[in-house]
Amino acid sequence: MKLKVITNKPIPKQFEDSFNQLIKNDDALFIVVGDLNLKGRYAESMMVFTADKIIAFDECYDNGSFSVDYADIETAQVKRLYGNAVFKVKFKTGKKKMLLRFSYAAAEVADAAAVFVNALNEGKDLTEELETVKSVYHKQRCFCPKCGRKLPNPEAECINCSGKGKLISKFGKYVIPEKKSLFICMLLSVVATGLSLVPPYITKIMVDDVIPGRDSAMLIKVLAILLGIYILQYVMNGFRSYRLRLAGDRITLNLKKDIYEKAQYLPLSFYDKISTGSVINRVNSDASVIQAFIMKITQEAVVQAFTLVGLVIIMFGMSWKLALFSLIPVPVVVVAGRLFGKIIGPKYMRLWRRSASISTVLANSIPGVRVIKAFTNEKETINKFARYCDEWYKEDKKVAVPAAVFPSLITFLVTCGSIVVWFLGGNMVINGSEEISLGLLVSFVSYASMFYTPINFFANMSDTYQNTLASAEKILDIIDAEPEHNFGEGNTLQRMDGKIEFKNVNFAFDRSKKVLSNINLTIEPGDIVGIVGTTGSGKSTLINLLMRYYDDYDGEILIDGENIKNIDMKYYRDSIGYVQQEPLMFRDTIFNNIAFGSGRVHVEQVIHAAEVANAHGFISKLPDAYDTMLGERGVGLSGGERQRVSIARAILKNPSILIFDEATAAVDSETEHLIQGAIERLISGRTTLMIAHRLSTLRKANKIVVVDKGEIIECGTPEELLKMKGKYYKLVEIQSMGEQLQKKKAEENFE
Amino acid sequence: MPRYIEGPEVRLTENDKIFVDAEFYTGEKFYELELHRMFPITGLTKYIALMDSEGNEIAVIRDINDLMPESREVVENCLREYYMIPRITKFIKMSEKFKIWMWTAETDKGICTFEIRNHLTAIKPLYDGRVLIKDANDNRYEIPDVNVLDKHSKKLILPKL
Repeated sequence: MKLKVITNKPIPKQFEDSFNQLIKNDDALFIVVGDLNLKGRYAESMMVFTADKIIAFDECYDNGSFSVDYADIETAQVKRLYGNAVFKVKFKTGKKKMLLRFSYAAAEVADAAAVFVNALNEGKDLTEELETVKSVYHKQRCFCPKCGRKLPNPEAECINCSGKGKLISKFGKYVIPEKKSLFICMLLSVVATGLSLVPPYITKIMVDDVIPGRDSAMLIKVLAILLGIYILQYVMNGFRSYRLRLAGDRITLNLKKDIYEKAQYLPLSFYDKISTGSVINRVNSDASVIQAFIMKITQEAVVQAFTLVGLVIIMFGMSWKLALFSLIPVPVVVVAGRLFGKIIGPKYMRLWRRSASISTVLANSIPGVRVIKAFTNEKETINKFARYCDEWYKEDKKVAVPAAVFPSLITFLVTCGSIVVWFLGGNMVINGSEEISLGLLVSFVSYASMFYTPINFFANMSDTYQNTLASAEKILDIIDAEPEHNFGEGNTLQRMDGKIEFKNVNFAFDRSKKVLSNINLTIEPGDIVGIVGTTGSGKSTLINLLMRYYDDYDGEILIDGENIKNIDMKYYRDSIGYVQQEPLMFRDTIFNNIAFGSGRVHVEQVIHAAEVANAHGFISKLPDAYDTMLGERGVGLSGGERQRVSIARAILKNPSILIFDEATAAVDSETEHLIQGAIERLISGRTTLMIAHRLSTLRKANKIVVVDKGEIIECGTPEELLKMKGKYYKLVEIQSMGEQLQKKKAEENFE
Repeated sequence: MPRYIEGPEVRLTENDKIFVDAEFYTGEKFYELELHRMFPITGLTKYIALMDSEGNEIAVIRDINDLMPESREVVENCLREYYMIPRITKFIKMSEKFKIWMWTAETDKGICTFEIRNHLTAIKPLYDGRVLIKDANDNRYEIPDVNVLDKHSKKLILPKL
């Protein structure tokens, strides 16, 4: 048995014998273990790759296996279907055969295997190709040995395990700064609670001694003490509430700030999978739920526990028999509490999902109000919102039943307890028992009713706890999420010349479809590169990788010879000026929108940037000029104006590399001319990447890259590509035909 | 506008299990076409696109029930091969370790175990009682009707919806 074979999963037991038999004389290099049979049912299957052949094992083969020599294969390919994929080979005879079927779990290693086979057939070096395969397998195993969490590379530290890990310690850090306030409040509570235990005792003295003894002087004294106790109690409670509120607010604030901060550093892939409404909900409501719970635990729980202990001592001191009877409902309450938690916990989770859905609808529809109005879709939007609200209400009703019934049930049990005390104690007093006087009974009943308050509190705790747990889970989802990795923190380049290299870059947003395949590209400093291709061809994804929005790609991207993953993230992104197709404006002044991300800048720098961007002209004509407040998403400016503001924003950063992602796609020819002028002034001496549909935008480009279906199909100077008469040539032809037609039409209209 | 196939104007034959060859009554022939559902969640038998190896759409079948019986069978078989969305009939067990949930379920394709890292994003309940699940490897599963699952399965899945 060969133990050193690289495999994505252990060799299935059912194939072990035939594996040993068949691979005896060959060295198995690596194995792809699949989880489906060729008919698409769950079963074990595998492909063994040796130096010269593939042996596939599947229960659907006549002998359980099938062997193919590389020499007979023209190409090997992984075809991704929906929810599964197949490894196919095309023979030199023209025939095709499916060798293995598997779910997406094995798709990446199968991809590597196909590349391996094709590379060997092209005559490439086996050892080198095997290294590539090994690295893919290695990446698959990048999990934290402790918690199983996926790591960006095998050496990376797991953020889940390096932290304290536990829920309490995670939220404990928000409590620690407030420990002084919380301690004072707790002390005050304890004293106030202690004082609240005195009045029932005074009742006993009055019933047993003062009133029967007709002692008026004593009555005044006792009442004065009572008044004093009440005053002290309420003053202390008032002061405590004030301190507690401030401490609580600070806890929520810090928690919200942290969640928000973390949300800023989360990679874009996080936001691809989660709705913004859900994130907003977590920052707003869930943080408050956690705060309320922290308060409950640090304050009320302590006080209630103290009250409980104090009451038990007093009650047992007064009459152990009555005290024992008072304790009867306690086990029932505790058991009911646990049961309640089990019933209501999942319900709260479901309720949370519904309220997050409502937030998502809000976050989607309110910013899109212009579109809704334009398409007179108000009614449908209202109906959709109403439907989500109804769903929430339906779920809330399910929570409401146990949430309402349980406390009432507890109160009922507690009341039954006090009836038992009255019955037994009353009988004892009536029968003239020496053990208990009337005053003592009255005072005992007062204590007994107080005794159930903490019991009630702890019984209801599970409800609050379940609710909090649902919120805590949501918050930890953000706090614990893998942030963008800044492996090269502090590592800056002495000077960024702007040489960009893509080396064997492959990327997929998820395992169902590859977006970029085998990208190899070198851009020299100062190059002006036009990236063209049809919509969805992968142009923007190429830029997204360069911007480090997604890190989970195979291969390397280098800037001046340094892997971009090893460069300090802030320094790196600061060195790139990125102008998007639909620039986002913040609800702020034009000045601040231009200065966004540039730190403290001089007014004249901003004006200069606006001037270079051809924006100064229109800005100075506005009544409030640079102080003009922009509405949400830049309301108040035209598309072209917003674009020029965003170019000014990029200019101000003085970047080494410039990226324009269809910067002139949504503007008219005249504005395009203005923007084009701004761009041309900006790009001199800087490495520039321009994604463009309109080829007229690429007049200055000295290099054109044509991307199609995630691959670079043409690359060279515009002249070279025109000579090639390939895709670029076709694009130029189509567009020049269109332009000529437009020109002709314009002339006709003019005449 | 796409070229719609209404019914008998095309003959479809199987090619390598997951592809079809198409022959139109006009005489046009296309080989190795891939079938793509336009509505893989809401319309399983309607609007099926036929794409060539370059991803160009050749035609769209409006409703496979209107095709000739042999062609219909071919399309159904190919779709069955192409779209692998195991239908979960029963949940056997669920275990959680370090916030990674392992689900073992019985499906129409056999018993499988899959991994879920975040229930909130991985499970999508629909209004008609169906539940769509996407596991950590982007494989898809469907519960045809969550209400008809057995008691044990419901106990496992309902709290996550």
